[in-house]
Parts: sequence; C-alpha cells; structure tokens
Amino acid sequence: MTVTDSDSDLIRRAQADDLDAFCLLAERYARRIHLLAFHYCRNAQDAEDLSQDVWLKAYQAMRSFRSDSSFYTWLRRITINAFLNHRRSSLFRRNGQTTAVQLIQIDAETFEMPLESRSTSPENIYNKLLFENVVDALAELTPQQRLAFLLRHYEGMSYEEIAGAMNCSTGTVKKGVSRAIVKLRAKLSPDSDRPEALTNLANEYLGEY
Amino acid sequence: MHDCTETKEQITEFVLDGADRRPDEALLAELRACAACREEFNALNATLRVTTRLRDTAAPAESYWVGYHARLRQQVEDLAAASRAKAQRRKEKLAFSFASLRLCVRATVRVPVPVIALILAAFAVFAVLAARKPAVPSPVIVHVPVATPVVQEKPVEKILTRVVYRDRRSPARTSKRVADPSNVESTFAKSQKPNAEIPAALLGFKPTDEVKLTIIKGGSQNEK
Repeated sequence: MTVTDSDSDLIRRAQADDLDAFCLLAERYARRIHLLAFHYCRNAQDAEDLSQDVWLKAYQAMRSFRSDSSFYTWLRRITINAFLNHRRSSLFRRNGQTTAVQLIQIDAETFEMPLESRSTSPENIYNKLLFENVVDALAELTPQQRLAFLLRHYEGMSYEEIAGAMNCSTGTVKKGVSRAIVKLRAKLSPDSDRPEALTNLANEYLGEY
Repeated sequence: MHDCTETKEQITEFVLDGADRRPDEALLAELRACAACREEFNALNATLRVTTRLRDTAAPAESYWVGYHARLRQQVEDLAAASRAKAQRRKEKLAFSFASLRLCVRATVRVPVPVIALILAAFAVFAVLAARKPAVPSPVIVHVPVATPVVQEKPVEKILTRVVYRDRRSPARTSKRVADPSNVESTFAKSQKPNAEIPAALLGFKPTDEVKLTIIKGGSQNEK
C-alpha cells in the first residue's frame, strides 16, 4: 500500500471488502468527523461513540457510494443523519453512565478538553476558559440550531445545503445560525478576545491550584 | 438610507463566509459610515475568530488517534465478522432447505409389503369409484309448475237506449189524429205485428227484459 493511494482507489478497494483500505479512508477523514461530533455532543466519550458509529454506518453503506459527490460530502451526509438520529435517541453518557437525558440539559461541566490541552500553562488555561464559554453558548442552543451553526461555520456549507441535509427550511437554518452567533457573541464579548483580559482570568484560575 | 438591521444581517453573512467572500463595497461604505455597525462587525468577527481558533485547539492529541483507529478497526472487524456470520447462516439455511428438498426426492423408505398392498388396494378402489362418476356432471332438469292463466268470460251488459219523443202538437191535431183509426195503434203494437217493412236482419230480435232508459235533456251534448 502506498501513501499516494487516492480516495477513489481506496473507495474501490473498500467496496470490495478491503478492510485496510476502509481504515485508511477513516484515518484521512476521522478528525473532521470527530471534531464535528465533539462540538455537537460536547462530551469526549459521546463524540467518540458517535463518530465511530458514523464510520460503522459508512462501512455498511460503502457499496452504495456512487461517486456522484465527493467521499467527504457523502460521509458528512451520513454524519448529519447519525447526529439527528442520535439526538432523537437522546442517549448520552454522563459521568461514566449512559443516561437518557435531553441534549440541551447537558451543562458545560460534562465537557472535557482533550488530553493534550490539560496542561496548566496560562495559554492552555486561557483556551480552556474560552472553550468553556463557547460550550456554554452552544449548550443554550437546541441541537438543531447547534448543528446548523457547526455546518455553516465549521464546514462552510451553504444554507440551502444545510437545509437539504437536515430536512428543514432555509429560514430555519438561518434563524438557528443567527441565534447561535448571538449567543456566542454574548458569551465571547470582543473584550474576551483580548489576551490580557483572559490571561488575568487564567492567572486567577492557576492561583487556585 | 442606512438601515442598521439590514446591515447587521449582511455583516453576519460576510463574517460567516470569511475569506471566501470578496468585501462588498457598499457594505464597507456602510461600515465606515456607521459606528454601531462597525462595532457589530468587529464583535462578530472576533467571536467567530475565537470559535475557529478553539475548533483547531480542541483537536485531540496524536496519541489519542492511535487508540481511536485501533478501536474503530476492531469495531469494523467485528461488524464484518458479524456480517459474514449472518451471510453464512443465511447460506447454511438455504443449503439446508435444498438438502431437505433433495432428501425428500431421493429418499428410500422401507415400507412393509402388506402396508403397500393395502395402500394400493385402497387406491384402486378409490380409482374405480372415481371412474364411475361421470367426468362432467349432467345438467339437472327441474320441473317447475307454471300456472296457466284462466280466462273467465264475464257477461257483457248491453245497454239499450230508447229515445222517446213527446208530441208537442196541439190537442186538436191530436184528437184528429186519434180519430184516425190508423193512428190509434201504438208504436209498440205496430212493432209486435209482423211487418213487411222490418228488415230481414232485425227479424227475431227480442229486446231484453230490463231496459235502461236515458233521458237526454237540453241541447248540449255532454249535459244529461
């Protein structure tokens, strides 16, 4: 297997039940899918479960991929459907237990920063505080609004694409994105972006330890 | 006319599109002219810049991905094994069905001779009984009595009408007439006599005993 294997080669081999080829495809796109899941669930364990569920669904549906769109577009569609189905089932793990709760009821305390960010440097503390603010803002949105914002802002999808993928109107998507931005803006005021303001906060945070 | 609400919507779209979108000259002019819109633009821009930066910093460490892909591979292998096992079970089930069918076709079963003889005899009897019966059932004729209509003759009632004319002539003329012996005889008496003037077709005609008499008064035809 060469590094220069193109997506189409890997897809063709994966469709022929080549597990290695499928895993290579997963390695290429897993970070983007995981990132979306992470921001959607705001919980590391749920994000992993959800993103791996996406890959299992993709493996089962691999033969149905017809190359009408890019592989990532097809994969993102599966991801969105998995997110929406996951929202319907509303099964989220909290404190190591699987509990049926509403996504909107999860507060920022369940959210965990990735392991690499858990150092105590001022920069990381600063990022952690910022990140918690973002999570707080996203937690105040409905799952649909949150997904609309993530797809618009992180994935760069148009409103029409999002509406088609989420099976709702363009107006609903616009409203969701707009509301998300308002919430984020309230949590992350322009002053918060100034390093000195949050650095002071981070130093206070460090002083507690 | 500057409208802050409309400009803010454009600002949101402009900020969300980021570097992909060319700056709109009209929007830039609005931003230069209105301090509130400029402040809104800066705030939104800063907000989305922060979220973008956090998106990148929130990525897990490289060590995480090793375990992630190992777990994913394991799950995919389990899924593939489950799919293979399911396909195998389906295949085995199908093969078993075919084998059962083949066994039924090719099976050699030992049966005692008396039983076979009994079965054959029963079959023969049944065949004979079946052969006796007509293959095609004959049509069944059902006699249904049909009531013939009886024509009853009803006596026809004959109505004879006799018109009586009253004599309105003067009594003198009447007396003269009475004096004439040829006129004394009534019409009825005349009718009883054999008369040569009676047509041959009316000879022997005898009126019925009961006579209905209808007196017509007035000149109108329908008035009675």
